[in-house]
Amino acid sequence: MSLIHELEVLQDERGHLTKDDLRELARRLAVPQYRLQELVSFYPHFRTEPAAPISISACRDMSCHLGGGPGLAGRLASRLADVPHVRVEETSCLGCCELAPAVRVNGVPVRASDEEALERAIRAGGPAREVRPHRSWRTDPYGDVESGYEGIRMALAQAQPDAAADRMIAELEKSGLRGMGGAGFPTGFKWKLVRGEAATPKYVVCNADESEPGTFKDRVILEDLPYLVIEGMMLAGLTVGSSRGIVYLRHEYADARAALEAEIERARGTGWLGRDILGSGFDFDVDVFISPGGYILGEETALLEALEDRRGEPRNKPPFPGQKGLYGLPTLMNNVETFAHAAAIGAEGADWWIGHGADGHAGLKFVAVSGHVERPGVYEIPMGTPVADLLEMAGGVSGGRELKAFAPGGASSHFLPADRVGTAMDFDALDEAGSMMGSGALVVVAEGTPLLPLAANIVRFFRNESCGKCVPCRDGTEKATAMLERATESGEAIDMDVIGKLNLLLTETSICGLGFVALNPLLSVAKHWPEEIPMRGGGSR
Amino acid sequence: MSEIAGGGGSPEAIATQTIRLTIDGGEVRVPAGATIWEAAREAGVEIPVLCHDSRLPPVGVCRVCLVDVGEKKLTASCVREVSDGMTVATRNEKIDACRKGLTELLLSDYPADADSNGKTGGDELRALAAEYGIEWPVPGANGDRTAPVSGIPSGNGRPIDRSSPVIRVDHQSCILCDRCIRACDEVQVNGVIGRTGKGYGTRIGFDLDDPMGVSTCVSCGECEKVCPTGALSLVQLAEGAAVPVPKRRSELKQVDSVCPYCGVGCAITYQVDEARNRVVYADGRASPVNHERLCVKGRYGFDYAHHPQRLTVPLIRRESAYPKGPLSPEVEQSDEKKRRRPGGLVDYDHVLPHFREATWEEAIELAGRRLRGIRDEHGSSAMAGFGSAKCSNEEAYLFQKLIRAGFGTNNIDHCTRLCHASSVAALLETIGSGAVTNVFGDVHNAEVALITGSNTTVNHPVAATFMKQAVRQGKTKIIVVEPRRIDMADHAEMFLQIRSGTDVAFYNALMHVLIEEDLVDHVFVRERTKDFESLRATVDKYTPDMAAEICGIPADDIRHAARLFGNARTAMVFWGMGIAQSVHGTDNARCLISLMLMTGNVGRQGTGLHPLRGQNNVQGASDAGLIPIVYPDYQSVKDPEVRAKFEAAWGVELDPDPGLTVVEIMGQALEGNIKGMYMMGENPFLSDPNVNKVRKALANLDFLVVQDIFLTETAEFADVILPATTQLEKVGTYTNSDRRVQVGRKALESPGQAREDWRIVSDLATAFGYRMTYESPAQVFEEFTALAPSYAGMTYENLGLTGKLWPCPDIESDGIQVLFGDTFPTPDGLGRFVPAEFTPAAEPPDEEFPFVLNTGRLLEHWHTGTMTRRSRALHAIAPEARVELHPDDLAALGARDGGPVHVASRRGSITLTAQASRNLLPGNVFIPFHFREAAANVLTYDALDPYGKIPGFKFCAVRVEAAD
Repeated sequence: MSLIHELEVLQDERGHLTKDDLRELARRLAVPQYRLQELVSFYPHFRTEPAAPISISACRDMSCHLGGGPGLAGRLASRLADVPHVRVEETSCLGCCELAPAVRVNGVPVRASDEEALERAIRAGGPAREVRPHRSWRTDPYGDVESGYEGIRMALAQAQPDAAADRMIAELEKSGLRGMGGAGFPTGFKWKLVRGEAATPKYVVCNADESEPGTFKDRVILEDLPYLVIEGMMLAGLTVGSSRGIVYLRHEYADARAALEAEIERARGTGWLGRDILGSGFDFDVDVFISPGGYILGEETALLEALEDRRGEPRNKPPFPGQKGLYGLPTLMNNVETFAHAAAIGAEGADWWIGHGADGHAGLKFVAVSGHVERPGVYEIPMGTPVADLLEMAGGVSGGRELKAFAPGGASSHFLPADRVGTAMDFDALDEAGSMMGSGALVVVAEGTPLLPLAANIVRFFRNESCGKCVPCRDGTEKATAMLERATESGEAIDMDVIGKLNLLLTETSICGLGFVALNPLLSVAKHWPEEIPMRGGGSR
Repeated sequence: MSEIAGGGGSPEAIATQTIRLTIDGGEVRVPAGATIWEAAREAGVEIPVLCHDSRLPPVGVCRVCLVDVGEKKLTASCVREVSDGMTVATRNEKIDACRKGLTELLLSDYPADADSNGKTGGDELRALAAEYGIEWPVPGANGDRTAPVSGIPSGNGRPIDRSSPVIRVDHQSCILCDRCIRACDEVQVNGVIGRTGKGYGTRIGFDLDDPMGVSTCVSCGECEKVCPTGALSLVQLAEGAAVPVPKRRSELKQVDSVCPYCGVGCAITYQVDEARNRVVYADGRASPVNHERLCVKGRYGFDYAHHPQRLTVPLIRRESAYPKGPLSPEVEQSDEKKRRRPGGLVDYDHVLPHFREATWEEAIELAGRRLRGIRDEHGSSAMAGFGSAKCSNEEAYLFQKLIRAGFGTNNIDHCTRLCHASSVAALLETIGSGAVTNVFGDVHNAEVALITGSNTTVNHPVAATFMKQAVRQGKTKIIVVEPRRIDMADHAEMFLQIRSGTDVAFYNALMHVLIEEDLVDHVFVRERTKDFESLRATVDKYTPDMAAEICGIPADDIRHAARLFGNARTAMVFWGMGIAQSVHGTDNARCLISLMLMTGNVGRQGTGLHPLRGQNNVQGASDAGLIPIVYPDYQSVKDPEVRAKFEAAWGVELDPDPGLTVVEIMGQALEGNIKGMYMMGENPFLSDPNVNKVRKALANLDFLVVQDIFLTETAEFADVILPATTQLEKVGTYTNSDRRVQVGRKALESPGQAREDWRIVSDLATAFGYRMTYESPAQVFEEFTALAPSYAGMTYENLGLTGKLWPCPDIESDGIQVLFGDTFPTPDGLGRFVPAEFTPAAEPPDEEFPFVLNTGRLLEHWHTGTMTRRSRALHAIAPEARVELHPDDLAALGARDGGPVHVASRRGSITLTAQASRNLLPGNVFIPFHFREAAANVLTYDALDPYGKIPGFKFCAVRVEAAD
C-alpha cells in the first residue's frame, strides 16, 4: 500500500481531494481516515480545494526576498485581478533562486523581475519555460552518457566481489569526500558503516530534496549528469550490499525528473540497471519517488518517513539510517552531488579527484550562487576557492554595489561580513570563519540591504517549514518569528535573553537540524551588525 | 515498497543481554533494549516527561525528559536505548534550564483559564510549572486566553471543540504530546486521532479533521485518560456538572470493582464522592483482563445508578390494576392507529399509579405467601424463576437454590438461553465443557484468529482491542466471517461477507478444503478425537463451489481462507450471537468446534474455542446453576449421586426432572400451566423473541414477583415489585468470559429502601417457608464454592484485585488459562466430531417480506437499555433507534437517509429512522434491539434451535416502507 501514491492518483483524477473521496479511499484501503488527513494536511502538494486554472506561486524566501520578492504575490494579484481563474499564492523556496524573484506559473518556473512582462505573458497564455543549456562539468569523467558507467564496469570486473567494495571505500576515504547535502559527514566512513550492517535487504537512497533557500546545485547536476548520480548509487549498492536504489526528488524539479527518468529507462534498456548487470550477478535498480513537498523532507529521517507513507517528521536519532533506515533496515543515504563525485572517484580514483582542489584542498564543489550577483547560477569550483573568486566568477555584486554580507551555505548558515570574503569555500575554513559550507549555496547581500527584514524572512522560513513534531522547534520558531516581526514592523526591541533561551532550546532539544539552525541568521546579524537590530537584554552585549 | 522491517538479531538473544550503565553516579543494570528513562525508573530516578506514558510506545516529542550522556547535545531519555558503559546525568544546570525553558514555551500558549478540573488523569504541565517555580497563570491574559511567560510572546487562538457529549477538546490547552494519538491507535486501536496541519499550525484532529462528536470516535475515553494537560477532559466535570463535585483524586474514595456490562469483565476503579454518594468518574484498572482499558459503557455508563427513576420502595399492585395487562400507554392501546407514540423508557407517570408503596415486611410476606399458595395448590411444576446474568455468583446461587430447594422445581433459567445456549449445547456434546478453552487475551499468540458472528468492537470492545492490537503488532492475522461489514473487517486479513444463515455451508466447505488439501492435524485427530469419518463423509459434498453458491462469496475465497487457517500453527476462534442466536445455532457451533478439532487447535497456547459471553456474569450465572438441567458447576439434575449431594447440602428433596427453558416457560405461562414466577433482574419483555406473545404470557400469570432496579416493561405485569441494588451498591463475585472470577466491591450506598438482591432472595425464601439466613455474600460464596469443584478454594481474600481463572487447582496460582491440553472432560476423554448439514432459513424472504432482518446491539447500549438509556453520556451519543439499510435499497424504497420507515414482519410492525449503510449487503436490514419504542423483537421470529432451544434472533423476513 502506498498512501501517498494513492492520494496523488486520486488528486490527479479528481483535481483535488474532497472529504467524501478521502473517506471512500480510506474505506477501500482499510486505513483509518486520520492516516490520510495527516498526509493531506502536511504535504503542500495535496489540495483540498480545486486548483485554479491559472495558478501562480510566488517564492517568498531568501534569494527572492533579496531579488525584490517582498510583496510580489500581492502585486501580481492586483495586476491580474481582472483575469478570471487566477490564484496567486506565496510559496516556500522553489529551488530556482537564479531566477529570483521566481514564480511558478502552472508549474513553469519563471523570473518575475519584470512584473509587467510577466503579466503580459500570463495574459497571453502563460510564460515560456526558460531552457538552460546543458554544460559540461569537470567532475564528469565521461563527458557524455555514452561513455558512462566505466567505474561500475571496472568494479564489477573485479574477481572478488569484496575487493571492489574494499577499493571503493579505500578510494573514498582517501579522497576525503564529505557529504554535500549540508552535514559534511565523511562519505567513505558512512559507506563502510552501512556495509558492516548485518540486516538485509539494504537500501541506497539519493537525497534529491534540496529545498534550502539559495540552494539549487543538485537540480543542475540531475539535469546534466543523471548517469553520474545513478552510477554513484550503483557503486554504493555494490559496496554496501544493496540492489535497491531510490531517488527522493522534490516535486518542483520537473526537468530533473525528466532527465533522471529518461536515463533510468535508458540504463535499463542497455543493461546498466536491472538483474545480473554485465553477467556479474549484481542486481541494481533505481526508482524515483517524487516528494509531496516540504523543506523538512530533506532531513534524512523525515525523508524515510515519507517513503514509509507517513508525515515527514524526523525520527529521534540514534538509530541512524545506516543502522535502521527505510523499514528499519540499513539505508545508505547520500546527497545528489555526493553520489556524482563518488562515481567520478570510482572511475578515476581518489588522486584524480583530489587533484582538482585549490590551495591544498581536495576535490570539487558545486555551489549555487544567488542573491545580489550579476550572474546567479551553479558554479563548479575547486574546493578551497576563496569566496571572493567565486563572487567574481558570478560577475560580482549586482549593480556595481559593494558587498555587505554573504551566507556561504544557504539560509541556515551564519552571515559573514564583507571582510571575510577571502575565506576559502571549504568545510573547515568556513567553520573556522564562523559559518558553514552547508548545502553549497552562496547568497550574496549588497551594501544598503537592511538585514533585520532578511533575518526575519529566514527565521520565518524555518517557522513555516518546521514539521511541528517537537516542542522547541514548533513553538520556538514561532515565538522567534513573532518577536522579529514585531521588531521589523514596529521597531519593538528584541529581548536577547529570550532569544538566547529559545536558541538554547532549539539547539539543545530539537530533534533535527532544522531547529538547530533556525536562529543562525538572526544571531549572526546580531553579532556582526548589532546596530541593525533593536535589542535589549543580556544577550545583546 | 512492501518490505517489512526484519533486521537485527533475534529478540530472544537481545533480551538476555544485560547492559550496565551509570545514572547520576549510580550503577544500573537493565536488559538490552531498555530506554534510559526506563533504566532510570528502575534505579529510582524519575525523569520528568510530558509525552511519554509507560503503556505507550515512546515518541520523544516534548523533549522534557532530555538527559546528558556526554554527547554534543542532550538526548531524549524516553526514546534513547541504553548502551554498555553509558554515563547519564539526569540533572544539571543545562538540563534544568532546558526543562524550565520548554515548560515556559508551552505555558506561553497555554490558556490562563484552562480548566484542568475536567481531567481524570494527571495535571502534568502545571506540575512542571510548579516544580520549576514558573509564575502561572500569569495575570492579564490576552483576548486569546494566553499571556507572555518569562518574556516569551503568547499566542494560540486555537478553538474548543464541544461536539462530543463526553469529551471536551480544548485545542488551546493541547501541547501535541501525541499521547492521545497513541492511546487511540496503539492501545485501543481505534485509529481516530492524528496530527493535522503542519508546524505551529499542527493540531490533533479526528478522522479528516472532523469535530470529535461527528467523527468515528467511539468515546472509549482512553485519550482523555492519558492527556497530561486537560486538553481532553470529561465534559461533565469540565463544564457539565450541575452540582460541584470534588475532582482531585485525593478528595475521592477509590473503589476497585469490575464493570457491570459485558462478559469481558474489565477491572475498574470507581472514583467516589462519598459525601454525595456519587461516582464521579471511572478509571480502567491494571488487570490481565483489560490492561487499564475501558470502553464507553464502562467508562461513562455508571450514572444509571444515580438516576431518579431508581426503585426505592417495595410496590404492590393496586386492586384497580387487575385484571393484569400492560400499563404503558403505547402497548395498552390495542388499536395501533390510536396508540400514542412511545417515549424512550417505561412511562413512570402512567405505570406507577397502578402500584402502591408497601413496607418490606408486607411485600415479602405477600410474595412468599402467594407463591407458596400456588405451589401448594398447583404443585412445583406451576412455579418458575428467571435469574439474571447481571447479578453476582452468590445471588445466582441463592436464587437457583430458592427455586430448586424452595419452589421444588428445576424451572430456572436466565438470559443465557437467549444467547449462548446453543454454543454450550454443542460444546458439551463435543468436548464436554461449555466454557471457553482459552482466554481472549491470548489472541496475540494465535497466528490466525477466526472471528465470526461477533461484532466484537461493539459488543466486546475491550476484548476487541487485544485482537486489533495483535494484528497491528504483526502477530496475528484475522479472518472475519460475517454478513455485515463490521469494523473488525478493517483489521482482517480476509473478510468473508457470507449471506445470513449460511454458516454451516461455509464451514463445511472450509473443512472440505482442509481435508482435500491435507491441512488436517492427523495426530490430534487420531489421539484426541473420535467420529472424524462421519464429519469427512458429511463435508465431502460441500465443495467450495457449492458453498460459494449458498453463501454468496467466491469459491476461491473459501479456499484461500482454508489455506490461511490450515497453515497456521496456532489458531483461535471467537464467536458471538451471530453463530449462536440462530435456529441452526447448535449446528453452527458444532462446525466451529469440528474445525478447531481437525486442525488441532485446542489445548495449546494461542489456540482455543472462545464463545464471547454477553453479560458480565453470564458465565458465573451458568456456573452457579441458573440452568434447568444442571446444579451449580454443571452437575446434572438427572444424576442421582449428584442430586443426593445437593439434597444433603440443602436439606430437602429435589426435583429429579430437568426444568423448562426461558421460551418454554413463557409458552407454559401462556398455556396457564406456569402460574407463579419470580424474576430477579430479568426483563424478557424486550429481550425475548415475539414480545407480543410474552406480554400475553406475563399477563396470564397468577402471581409475579419482579425484583429490579428500575420499572421495567416486565414489572408492568408484576403483583409485587421489589427494589434491588445496582452492582455499584453491593459486594459479590462475577465470572467473565475468560472464566475469571473477580470481586465487585461496594462503591455506593443504595438509594431509599433498595436492598441487595442476595438479601431479598433470602428474605423471600424464608417467607416462602424455606429458611435462609446469610450474613454476607462471602458466606454465600463459601457455600457455593464448597459445592462447585471448579471454584474450590476461592475466597474473597485470595481473589484479591484481579481474581482467578477457574479451574484453579493450585489456589496460589492465577488459575488455568488453557484447558484440555491432554484430555477432554468427556466420558472417554476424546473430543467428538458432530457433523451438521446446511438447512435453509426458517423464514426466508419472499415477495411480501423481501428483506432479511438481522438484530444486534450498539456500542453504547446494553440489551433493553434499562441502564444505558439512563446514562447521560450513553443516551446522548446514541439516543434513538435506527434501521440500517443499503443505500441502494433505501433509494429503491423511495426513503431517505435519516427519514422514517416502517418495518413489518408477520408478527408486528415498528417505525424508526433509516440509516444508509454500505456495511450491509442489499436485501438486508439491521436493527438494534435496545429501543422499546421501536422494539426489534416485535418483528423477530421465535422458532427455536432444536438443541439449544435458542431463538433465531438473527434472521427473519421483513418488509420496509418509507413512512413520510
